[in-house]
Amino acid sequence: MRRGIALPVFCALGFLFLYAPILSLVVFSFNESRLVTVWGGFSTRWDGELFRDPQILGAAWISLQVAVISATIAVILGTLAAYVLSRFGRFRSRALLTGMATAPLVMPEVITGLSLLLLFVSMESLIGWPAGRGMTTIVIAHVTFGLAYVAVVVQSRLAGLDISLEEAAMDLGARPVRVFFDITLPVIAPALVAGWLLAFTLSLDDLVVASFVTGPGASTLPMVIFSKVRLGVSPDVNALATIVIAVVALGVGIAVWQLRKGTGND
Amino acid sequence: MALSETVSPARPWADGAAEPFVRIEKLTKRFAGFPAVDDVSLDIFRGELFCLLGGSGCGKSTLLRMLAGFEQPSAGRIEIDGQDMAGIPPYERPTNMMFQSYALFPHMSVEKNVAYGLRREGMGRAEAMERVGEMLRMVQLEGFAGRKPHQLSGGQRQRVALARSLVKRPKLLLLDEPLGALDKKLREETQFELIGLQESLGVTFVIVTHDQEEAMTLSSRIGVMDAGRIVQVGEPPQVYEHPSTRFVADFVGSVNLFEGRVVEDAPEHIRLASAEAGATLYVGHGVSCVPNQTMWLAVRPEKLRLTRDRPAGRENALLAEVEEVAYMGNLSVFQLRLPTGKRLRASRANVARVDAEAISWDEEVWVSWEDTAAVVLAQ
Amino acid sequence: MSGRWLVIAVPFVWLLVFFLVPFLVVAKISVSDAAIAMPPYTPILDWEGLRATLTLSFGNYAYLWEDALYATAYWFSLKVAFVSAAVALVIGYPMAYFIARSPEPKRTLYLTLVILPFWTSFLLRVYAWQGFLRSNGVINNFLLWTGVIDQPLVMLQTDFAVYLGIVYTYLPFMILPLYANLAKLDESLLEASADLGGRPLATFFHVTLPLSAPGVIAGFMLVFVPAIGEFVIPELLGGPGTLMIGKVLWNEFFQNRDWPVASAVATVMLLVLVVPIMLLRLAQARAEAE
Repeated sequence: MRRGIALPVFCALGFLFLYAPILSLVVFSFNESRLVTVWGGFSTRWDGELFRDPQILGAAWISLQVAVISATIAVILGTLAAYVLSRFGRFRSRALLTGMATAPLVMPEVITGLSLLLLFVSMESLIGWPAGRGMTTIVIAHVTFGLAYVAVVVQSRLAGLDISLEEAAMDLGARPVRVFFDITLPVIAPALVAGWLLAFTLSLDDLVVASFVTGPGASTLPMVIFSKVRLGVSPDVNALATIVIAVVALGVGIAVWQLRKGTGND
Repeated sequence: MALSETVSPARPWADGAAEPFVRIEKLTKRFAGFPAVDDVSLDIFRGELFCLLGGSGCGKSTLLRMLAGFEQPSAGRIEIDGQDMAGIPPYERPTNMMFQSYALFPHMSVEKNVAYGLRREGMGRAEAMERVGEMLRMVQLEGFAGRKPHQLSGGQRQRVALARSLVKRPKLLLLDEPLGALDKKLREETQFELIGLQESLGVTFVIVTHDQEEAMTLSSRIGVMDAGRIVQVGEPPQVYEHPSTRFVADFVGSVNLFEGRVVEDAPEHIRLASAEAGATLYVGHGVSCVPNQTMWLAVRPEKLRLTRDRPAGRENALLAEVEEVAYMGNLSVFQLRLPTGKRLRASRANVARVDAEAISWDEEVWVSWEDTAAVVLAQ
Repeated sequence: MSGRWLVIAVPFVWLLVFFLVPFLVVAKISVSDAAIAMPPYTPILDWEGLRATLTLSFGNYAYLWEDALYATAYWFSLKVAFVSAAVALVIGYPMAYFIARSPEPKRTLYLTLVILPFWTSFLLRVYAWQGFLRSNGVINNFLLWTGVIDQPLVMLQTDFAVYLGIVYTYLPFMILPLYANLAKLDESLLEASADLGGRPLATFFHVTLPLSAPGVIAGFMLVFVPAIGEFVIPELLGGPGTLMIGKVLWNEFFQNRDWPVASAVATVMLLVLVVPIMLLRLAQARAEAE
């Protein structure tokens, strides 16, 4: 079949569409001029100013902590859910678990945010916990949708895993828990790493849910950026963008490397 | 009629008093109502190399998996060495399995793979490694201990899988199509190695295969399966020369079948009138039957003799035309056509290097066989 | 095998408490009245000694029904989400097809390129579009400079910007499931079609397209459903006229401090969403059965 040129050109344009805003952010973060979309010369002035802004730094620190904690818990819960759904065959309320584990993927964030906040408020008046909202409630919210994403990634990897490996281990005398830690976990490890990075990024990036469930004193980075951006374009946000992009590019690179290692082995 | 009825330690199944090592009683497994294994009863004796032979979907793999503990029976029971296996999970059974795909752990070295079962038993590292070394020597893989599975060839992986399943000295070793992935030459060599290993270790083997040549070579006894049921159990010569049904006759090797009616029934012989053969066929031994019963005469290709002139002293001789000749090197296989339209297959060893008189295409030949060379089947 | 139940229970209980129960709480609050109190709604169950009075106030729903604003916002959201998903499909399908047919080292590269923007901050990318689309933004500056136009185009704070923003943001969600489906397509099916006389276009319509249907449905749902409730994009790129239901909910909650009405908005949104989500599950189940 003759390979036309229309398709590659179309795709090149598609990729350009995807990357245009990102590239412009990077370019203009090095822009001397305060008028963000007018080029005034190369400068790292705004990067410097960024690092001196306590509001942004404080919010970044909170976001980072929340992201690491919630990603870790999400991986544990998500992997369990994926394992149960892949390996446990039929059990009562399996359909419900499947539904609950996949619905967060499509649920609009405003609904997730509102519903969780209302839950926290009701819980507080009923049993006294959580006492006020802040980092804890944000972590809980992020774990809840993070685990759905982890479950998808891990489930897809488990589906490709030859079940006779686990049967062989059982045949040789390993109990199911042992089999999981000796055989299953090492082989699906790259998927766990990818899942962690996914949950981490989603947490770091979340604005809507965090806005609903947070409390005084716990502002996340996206919340701070949002309030600045609402007022208009600003140069220190551009600088921040560059840093974020660099960090994420690194993270994705690692994830892809891990995933390739996984598929190369078996 | 058994070929030999001598009772000997090498043939415990012939001894009515011997205790079976594995007892399978009325075992059934249903998947969504469909019986994959249907009311199977079987006794396997210690030290046997027992083959379950059948086509795809006959239930042999399901039966094996029930022995290993990966499937729970819908009905019936399994007893291994006097112990009832009901509810016992795979990691507590005295069985080990060699998987068709080998199932080697990709993230562990050969050494760790083979040692895995020993470590799960609680054996210390040093002792385990010693046993592993010994086992690797036995399968001729010493020096490969540090390699990872993806660095090995297919044949080497197969040996690692074998070593791993034998190192625990299981009472019963289950093998699922162990030689399926190997090429012909390797398969032949490995077959004899497998027998040697089994004899020196004294482990009871149960092998599942669809390859009847493999079953004939390896086993002490064969169990032929079809549609979830065991159709015949016997030693290879028994199954080959005395098949109990047309299915077995056709599955184990090739066979020529003539349908016929019993027209003469005597204690020492019977005659079948066969429209397919266009003649009345003579069988030189007594067969339990009733007059006019429809039966089938089964005669193997190698028992058919082809001559240019009508052979003297043979009751069964049919005129046929040679349609095809296939030269296989050690054998020649002839496809013949009778005037009735029925096709026959005959084979002959090529004992002479050059045969100027060799029978060729389109010749008319006489097909004959000895009076006792055929078997009569009722089903 | 009680160990099994423990393993199932851990994620199950978490999801039950933190995902399912909240919806019940939302439904409950949607039938209460707003109050100047903390929390700002009245309890629906009133205890007096041993007598309980259950008060369900459906006034909030009546309020939504009566005020045209809400109905308009719902319809608008559905329309925007649907159109955006359709556009994303038109752009994303060829891209997914191209990537799926690319040879290996390039394929992973393209996939990484598709995924990478998704992992950079969503907020920042929407913000970047602001920079592109404003009156003295990149696009306008370029067009003015080349003389194509002499007045800056109004692109920001328009419906167009919202469509653009949603398509842009959700494009990877369309490409990935489509890619996953197309990558599994057996090349020999296409060869068989060609061998039987099917030209490339016919092969595409009769073989590729029908077989990629599950991927199309999955991708469409992954864009359509979340886009209905989208808030950030209409807030930053849309104008006062582009009122999507997500923004309505946000305003009811944060500006009007009317939790019961916000809950009612959310409940109606959930009911509207249930149908598409069910469709998605059905498509997934069918894909799994293959």
